[in-house]
Amino acid sequence: MYFKQILYNIKKNRKDNGLFFATLLIAIVAFYTLLSLESQDVMRFLNALEGDAIQKLMLLVPIIYVVSLFFVFFLVYFAYAYQMENRRREFGLYLMFGMKRGRLFLMLMCETILNSILSVFVGIPLALLLTESISLTTARLVGLGIIGHQFSLSPTAILGTVGGFFLVQLAAMLILSVRFCRMDPADLLKQETEAAKKPTSGKQGIFSFLSGILLLAVAYVMGVTLLRAFGMLPTLLILIFGSLGTFRLYRGLGSFIERALTARKSQKSGLYTFTGRQIQESVVHQHSSLAVSSLLLLTALTCISFGIGMGVGRTGADARACDFSLMGTKEDVTAFIQDEENQNVIGDCYPMFIGNMYYGDSTFSLDGIVDAFETLPENDLRDNIVENLRQDEEYNDLYLIPLKSFNALLASMGEEKIQLADNQVAFYSRMAADSPNYKELWDQALRAGAYVEFTLPNGNVEKFEILPGVYYNNIVADRAITLSTTLVVPDDLYATCARHTSDKTDSADETGQMAEDGRAVGSAGGNAGDVATESGESTPLAGGVSNFAQDNDASTEPDTIDNVEDPFAWNIRLKDDVVKTQGLLPAIMEMQSRLDDSALSYDSYLGGIGRNLFYTVAASYLSIYLGVLFLLIANTVLVLKYLIWQRKNHGRYLTLMMLGAKKRDLSISMGKQIRLYFLLVLGVAVLNSIFAIWSMFTSFVKLPAGTSMLTVIILACVALVCFVLVEVLYICIVQHKSRKEILALHVSERPE
Amino acid sequence: MNAKRILQVQNISKTYGKGSSSTTALSGISFDVLKGEFLGIMGASGSGKTTLLNCIATMLKPTGGKILLNGEDVSAFKGSALADYRGNKIGYLYQSFELLDNLTARENIILPLSLHGVKNADAERALLPLAKHLDITEVLDKFPTQMSGGQKQRVAAARAFISAPSIVLADEPTGALDSKNAKTLLDKLSSLNQQEQKTIVMVTHDANAASYCSRILFIQDGTIFHELRKNGKNEPPEMFYERIMTVIAQLGGGSANVL
Repeated sequence: MYFKQILYNIKKNRKDNGLFFATLLIAIVAFYTLLSLESQDVMRFLNALEGDAIQKLMLLVPIIYVVSLFFVFFLVYFAYAYQMENRRREFGLYLMFGMKRGRLFLMLMCETILNSILSVFVGIPLALLLTESISLTTARLVGLGIIGHQFSLSPTAILGTVGGFFLVQLAAMLILSVRFCRMDPADLLKQETEAAKKPTSGKQGIFSFLSGILLLAVAYVMGVTLLRAFGMLPTLLILIFGSLGTFRLYRGLGSFIERALTARKSQKSGLYTFTGRQIQESVVHQHSSLAVSSLLLLTALTCISFGIGMGVGRTGADARACDFSLMGTKEDVTAFIQDEENQNVIGDCYPMFIGNMYYGDSTFSLDGIVDAFETLPENDLRDNIVENLRQDEEYNDLYLIPLKSFNALLASMGEEKIQLADNQVAFYSRMAADSPNYKELWDQALRAGAYVEFTLPNGNVEKFEILPGVYYNNIVADRAITLSTTLVVPDDLYATCARHTSDKTDSADETGQMAEDGRAVGSAGGNAGDVATESGESTPLAGGVSNFAQDNDASTEPDTIDNVEDPFAWNIRLKDDVVKTQGLLPAIMEMQSRLDDSALSYDSYLGGIGRNLFYTVAASYLSIYLGVLFLLIANTVLVLKYLIWQRKNHGRYLTLMMLGAKKRDLSISMGKQIRLYFLLVLGVAVLNSIFAIWSMFTSFVKLPAGTSMLTVIILACVALVCFVLVEVLYICIVQHKSRKEILALHVSERPE
Repeated sequence: MNAKRILQVQNISKTYGKGSSSTTALSGISFDVLKGEFLGIMGASGSGKTTLLNCIATMLKPTGGKILLNGEDVSAFKGSALADYRGNKIGYLYQSFELLDNLTARENIILPLSLHGVKNADAERALLPLAKHLDITEVLDKFPTQMSGGQKQRVAAARAFISAPSIVLADEPTGALDSKNAKTLLDKLSSLNQQEQKTIVMVTHDANAASYCSRILFIQDGTIFHELRKNGKNEPPEMFYERIMTVIAQLGGGSANVL
């Protein structure tokens, strides 16, 4: 009988309270999505390429799991609190009929366990469906196609989900059951009405409201102006001012609403005053919850924006420059490319030369650049750049790329070639790809008329104007080469000034080590020794794949660089139609297997994708996950708090009906209350978010240069539409539920 | 004479439940209420007095019979007509006040007028004399939690009278008040009845409260058992009280049975 009663209760509660079950399902899906991260397609793929990095990322998962447990606990707690409030009369009756408190407690705990089991059976398949969709969508979005998709069921994730879910449920229910079981039957039987609270006195409230606005304004200004430096103190102050401001604002909002209400009510009739008072009361009673929900929504919006920004930035910045960079002797490379099968898939092949400034007979002066920088407003970055330039000068540290190589790269990517006039060079820095501030500053300096001076081997000093605009395309397939101060120079100048192969027996050491202070001077990774180790003439490759592909003028140019040294690498780009038909991933993988069979060492774009994806996944996936979790929690808490509060106000609606209010008018009033209630939370959250996101994207999360603004705007709009839809959905749920309750009201229910 | 009949209750019956489990609460009650009358309804617990009041207030639909207010059948009202009847043509005074605790006294009182489309500024004009009469002017801007029980009930009374309804129905209005506050309230209701010719129907089991009425109907087992009339204005309340107590004793078993 006892067990039957438990089953009956579960069934009844499930029918009466869909929102409650939806909340439990959200909790399960949230846990599983996080815990199954490792077994998702993208992660498995990344694991193969960037195993160490992924392992480090996976170390973060337990921390986020614990954070999620903490937040999901509140979600579940409020869901159960709502459920228990609805059933308090029932509990009172059980006690009156002689049920012992211990037995009531046991009954509630049994219900919780059975509920949990049921939710797990529904929730896990739902979570699987969702994670599989995420897996497929992510793979598609990053261009991996659906190759290699495999259904992933992670037993550890299921165990973690079930364990975490039960833990959170039992903890929440334990607290609530103890509270309800300790109450006297009379208190349980009495429908609890919200104790009326007088709003904070007028002046005090208005002071609180205005001080809240002031604190928020200070936080906004500080965020936009001081966060660029990203110091600990300003960040902490912004957080304190922002949070405190939000709390103060909601605390005083009740008085503000009262003022607005009093000023306008004399010309109003109907339920205007009642609606206003209801909203005022909901704010006065729940100002802390509103502030917490608003801050949670702010966190959610910021996390999601951060995730989108990082994702788009990382994937957008590194446009595919080439698919492979081959290192080996010219003969080996030629032999490989001339292979018939390979010819069918290779679109472009060109040598990429990179050289050091020759420091035997020729020297250079960067004074012209330093002078240009010194005309710009002083700031830390400018001073750093100037200092680095001085060091480059001191250590004769200047890299050169011949125009031919660089134009071949641009042509291969379908971009416009550089046209250099006499005594002109172009500036290249890989750092510009990652730091828009750096790029912007260089752009300004170049526009201000920066130039370099070379002392040529013949003793002549020549001045070279630097073209406006900074180039930053990746010059090889992978390797994260970070050339800092590099010039794209005419080929004859390169031939004259770049280190001759005969002089560079120690080129491997010189070709690049990353400076410890982060000032990159060029990195060719561990394979640098493979490059250009012996001299030898370099002629255009035969077999349909030309040296400096598409460069029809190559033959007319002076016989210069081809004779000076072997290239740093041979860049290969696969034919577009092959990529289109086979998909990028399989095409690259196929070529990779052929390269593995050859004696050539190589780097592939896949490694680049791996690195990019790692950053994308680490930064965007987790922050979007947390953002969505916060969004759901904030909304659910908001909805449940509202419904609990509204339930306590049933008597008011009955009285209004006795006084002649129509149900339709009551529904309209309730709809207004719900919309305004949400608007009060969303309004502040959205306003806070605008400044938070603005501060974020102008400081530590600058979008990398070259990120398509259109893509960012489209994604931001999509995210905003999703956000609005989620909010509208929640508002509709509450309105529907409230309307149903109003329609079910009958004046004869009024307690005698 | 018909013009003076505000309320006509004609052969009202009310049965709860169906078939063998049905319970009859009212079985064919008929009476009239005249304009300016202060009618009391008394009876033992379960006699049907609150059911009767709830039927008049349209909170319950009678199983049979008719209730006419100013000649209109209130049991046939639906939708807008029903909403218009409530709070406009009848006022209701509850034992537990039923004030909205997030509204000030002023807002509570003018609520019935607001609900029927009167602008708050216009409603204020009707409010002031009534508030003065009920001695609640100083609490008008207070919330119910800041008032005493007596003040709350007088605010509730003001709300019941604000729309100048044809009739005010009071269900044990002194039930939650101490004797001093109960007396103050009854004095106010009585003076409203006598000076302003307000028509009041009051359900009570308190003989003292009933002694303020001009006529009392005693109900037993769903039918009218007896009727008492005050002998004009000259009959002292103590004497009327004595007569009420006698009828209560006749109802069988004394106060234990009545209360």
